[in-house]
Amino acid sequence: MDVRSQISMIFHLDKCIGCHTCSVACKNIWTDRKGAEYMWWNNVETKPGTGYPGKWEDQEIYKGGWVKDGEGIKLKGAGKKKGLLNIFHNPHLPVIDDYYEPFTYKYLNLIEAPAADDQPTARPVSLITGKPIDIKMGPNWDDDLSGTPDYARNDPNLKKLSKAEQEAMFQLERMAFYYLPRICNHCLNPACVASCPSGAIYKRGEDGVVLINQDKCRAWRMCVTACPYKKTYYNWNSGKSEKCILCYPRLETGQAPACMHSCVGRIRYLGNILYDADRIHEIASVPEDQLVDKQMELMLDPFDPKVIEAAKKNGVPDSTIRSAQRSPAYKFIKTWGLALPLHPEYRTLPSLFYVPPLLPVMASVSDTKNTEQQAKIGEVAKVWDDKWLYNTTTEELFGSIEDARMPMEYMASLFSAGNTEQIKDRLKKLMAVRIHRRWTTVGDISEEKAKGALKEAGLDGKMADEIYYLTSLAKFDDRFVIPAAHREQAIEMLEFTGDKKGSTGFGFKEGTAKRGL
Amino acid sequence: MKIAFLKKRVILFSILTMTMLSWQTQAGPGENNFKTACSSCHTIGGGKLVGPDLAGVSERRSEEWLIKFIKSSQSLIKSGDAEAIAVFKKFFKIPMPDQPFSNSEIKDIISYIGGASTQTADAAAATTSDEAIVAAEPSAIDVALGADLFQGTVRLKNGGAACNSCHDVKNDAVIGGGILAKDLTSTFSNMGAAGITSIIGTPPFPVMEAAYKDKEITKDEVRVLAAFLQHAHSKKANQQSRDYGLVLIVAGIIGTIVLLGLYSFLWSGRKKEPVNQAIFARQKIVSTDE
Repeated sequence: MDVRSQISMIFHLDKCIGCHTCSVACKNIWTDRKGAEYMWWNNVETKPGTGYPGKWEDQEIYKGGWVKDGEGIKLKGAGKKKGLLNIFHNPHLPVIDDYYEPFTYKYLNLIEAPAADDQPTARPVSLITGKPIDIKMGPNWDDDLSGTPDYARNDPNLKKLSKAEQEAMFQLERMAFYYLPRICNHCLNPACVASCPSGAIYKRGEDGVVLINQDKCRAWRMCVTACPYKKTYYNWNSGKSEKCILCYPRLETGQAPACMHSCVGRIRYLGNILYDADRIHEIASVPEDQLVDKQMELMLDPFDPKVIEAAKKNGVPDSTIRSAQRSPAYKFIKTWGLALPLHPEYRTLPSLFYVPPLLPVMASVSDTKNTEQQAKIGEVAKVWDDKWLYNTTTEELFGSIEDARMPMEYMASLFSAGNTEQIKDRLKKLMAVRIHRRWTTVGDISEEKAKGALKEAGLDGKMADEIYYLTSLAKFDDRFVIPAAHREQAIEMLEFTGDKKGSTGFGFKEGTAKRGL
Repeated sequence: MKIAFLKKRVILFSILTMTMLSWQTQAGPGENNFKTACSSCHTIGGGKLVGPDLAGVSERRSEEWLIKFIKSSQSLIKSGDAEAIAVFKKFFKIPMPDQPFSNSEIKDIISYIGGASTQTADAAAATTSDEAIVAAEPSAIDVALGADLFQGTVRLKNGGAACNSCHDVKNDAVIGGGILAKDLTSTFSNMGAAGITSIIGTPPFPVMEAAYKDKEITKDEVRVLAAFLQHAHSKKANQQSRDYGLVLIVAGIIGTIVLLGLYSFLWSGRKKEPVNQAIFARQKIVSTDE
C-alpha cells in the first residue's frame, strides 16, 4: 500500500448559476498574458453544448485520454511510438479556431476619436494579430443556448440518445440545460504526464497537483493531444505549454484557489484524499462499467488505523491526514456517494468530482389531443397542432427521477461512462435530502414518506442533515480544507535555517534618511 | 694577397662587361612589353604555348589587323572577322585578354617580334608544338599534392587563394569548385604542361593577375598543379559527372510529390479542419478590413 495525499475538488452542479466569475478570476490572475489570451484554465460550459474547445469530448477528433489495450491501457493519440512518429507533426492538435481567436475592442477610440459625422465605435481587434477582426467565436459562444443546432445538437454526449429524446430536449420552449464548470482534473493517472516526450510534466508528491515545468517544456504539444479534457494549452508566445496550477501558491499559504474562492454560488469544495498509488494502473485498466466504483475503492478511509499507519510510513504529515479526515471531498465522494467524476471512460482517474444536477422541474412528454383546447382559443391566436403535451404536472410535489428533464443516458454519458444506475443513485439521494428537509421545515410531506425516501436512497436523517449543511450552510473553512503545505520542511531540505537565525528580524531594508543636527 | 686582389678585379670587370652587354641587347620598350604581357602565352619560334607561336607573324597578318586584335581580340571576333574567328577556334576558344597598349607601343612589340623571329627561326624548326603536350604521366605524389593545393587543403606557400575558389575540375579527388572561371578539367589537352605552367606562373588574365599579385605561386607549386591537371585530364572519363542539370530539379519535384503523397497517406486520419468549420462557413462574414 503506497498511501499518498491528493487534493480533490467537488463541483456541486445544482448550485452553479453560470456566472463565469470563476473563469474571470482565473483569467485575471494567470492567463492575462501575451500568448495566453485564448486560454481559459477555468471555463464554464452550457450542457448540452459543444464546449471549449469545440467538441472536446469527441476523442475520435482529438484522440485524448487512455484506451484499453489488452489487459492494460495505452494512450489513444500519444505515447512513445505514436509520439516519436508524430513528433514533428502532431496530427490531432486543436487549432486556434477550435478554441477561438481572442479579441478585445478599441475602447480608446470611443473617447479619442476626432469629431466626425458618425459616432465613434470600438472595433474588435484580434489579440493575436492586433488587426481588426470579425468575431466568429468566443470561449463561451453557446452560453445558455441549449437548443441550438450548432452547439447543443453537436454535443458528443447525445449520441446515445434516441432521436425523439434529442428532439424533446431541443424544443426551445422546453429548454433544459445546466452548467458545467471545468478546470484541470489533476488526475491520478494523467495522460498529459504520460505523453510528454521531454518529461516536463509532473505530479507533485505532496498534494498531487499536476504541473508543467516551463524550463523543461520543449513545445512538442503531445500533452495538448493527450489530455482528454483539453486542459493543457500551448502558449504561442513563450513556446511552452501551460495548464491550471490549482493556484498552488495560494494553496501553500492556506488559501483556496482563485476560482473556488470567488465562486458566487459556492458550488466548489476542496479537500485532500488519501489514495493507494499502487493500484492506479490496475484500476485504470478495469472494464468501463466498473471504472467509477473502482475509482472510489482507490480512495482510502482516512480514519482506518492501517491507512494512517501506512500514510505515516510514507511520509504523509499528520496535518495532512487530519485534514483528509475533515475533507469535504471525501464526504461527498465516499461517505455520501454523491459525486461522480467527469468522463471516467477516459481512464485518467480525475480528482475533480461533480455532484450531478437534479434539475428543479421534472416533466414528461405525453400524447394528447389539442382539439378541445384549440376550440377555446380565438381565431387570432396562434394555434399549435402538436399532438403531444409537455407535461410538468406530477402526482407528488417531487416527481420521480425517471421523469427528469435531462435524459439519464445523457447524464450517464458525462459522469458514469454510460451507467445510468449510478446517476439515478446520486439523484435519488439528492431528492431524498430535499424531501427530508421539506418534511423537517414545511411539514407538508408525511414523515413516513420522508423516511421512506431516505431509506430508498440509502441515507439516514443525520446524513441528510449533514449533506444539507455542507450544501447550503457551509462556511469557508468547511468548504475548503487545505492541508498545510509544510514549505518550511521543503526549505529545510535545501538549506540550514540556522544560518538565518539572528540575522533577520527588526531593522531596515534600506538606510534611513539622514537628519543633520 | 695580390692574387686575391687580381681575382677581385677580374670579377668586377666581367660583371661590368656582362651588364654592358645585356644593356646593349635590351633593344627597347617592345621587348619589355612582350616579356611582361605576351610571353606567358606566346613564344617567338618556341612553338605554341597557350596562343600561337608569333615567329613571323607580321608576314602572316597585316599590321593594322594585329593592332586591332591585340587591343581587343573579342571585339574583332564579334565583328565577324574570318581570320580572327579561325584563330580563336584553333586555340580552343581561350579569349586573349585586351591589352592596354597604344598603337606605337604595339608597333614596337611587332617590330621586336620581327627581329626576334629571324634570330630564332632555326631553333623553332627543331621543336614542334605537339611534342610539348605528350608528357610522361606525373608521379602520384605530385598529383596528390596538386589536388590538395587545388582545393586548398594545403595552402599555397605565398598565401594565394586556392584554385577551386574560382575553378572547377571534375575529379573525384577534389570537392566541387567555383564557377567564376573556366572549368579546368580538359585544359591540359589544350595547353599542355608548358602552357599551364606559363599561365599559372604569370597569369595573363586581369582578374587572376590581381588575385595573385604579391602572392606568387612558386615554381614547385606550379609544377604539381600542372601535374594534377594533367592527371585530371587523363582520368576524366572515369569520373562521375557532377553536373546534374535539369535532372536534379526534376528529381526534386518528383521527390517532393512522392513525399507529400506519403505524408498525406500516413496522416490521412489527421484533423483537417476546425470543428466549427460548418459554423464559420455559414457565417459568411464579409470582411470589413481596410
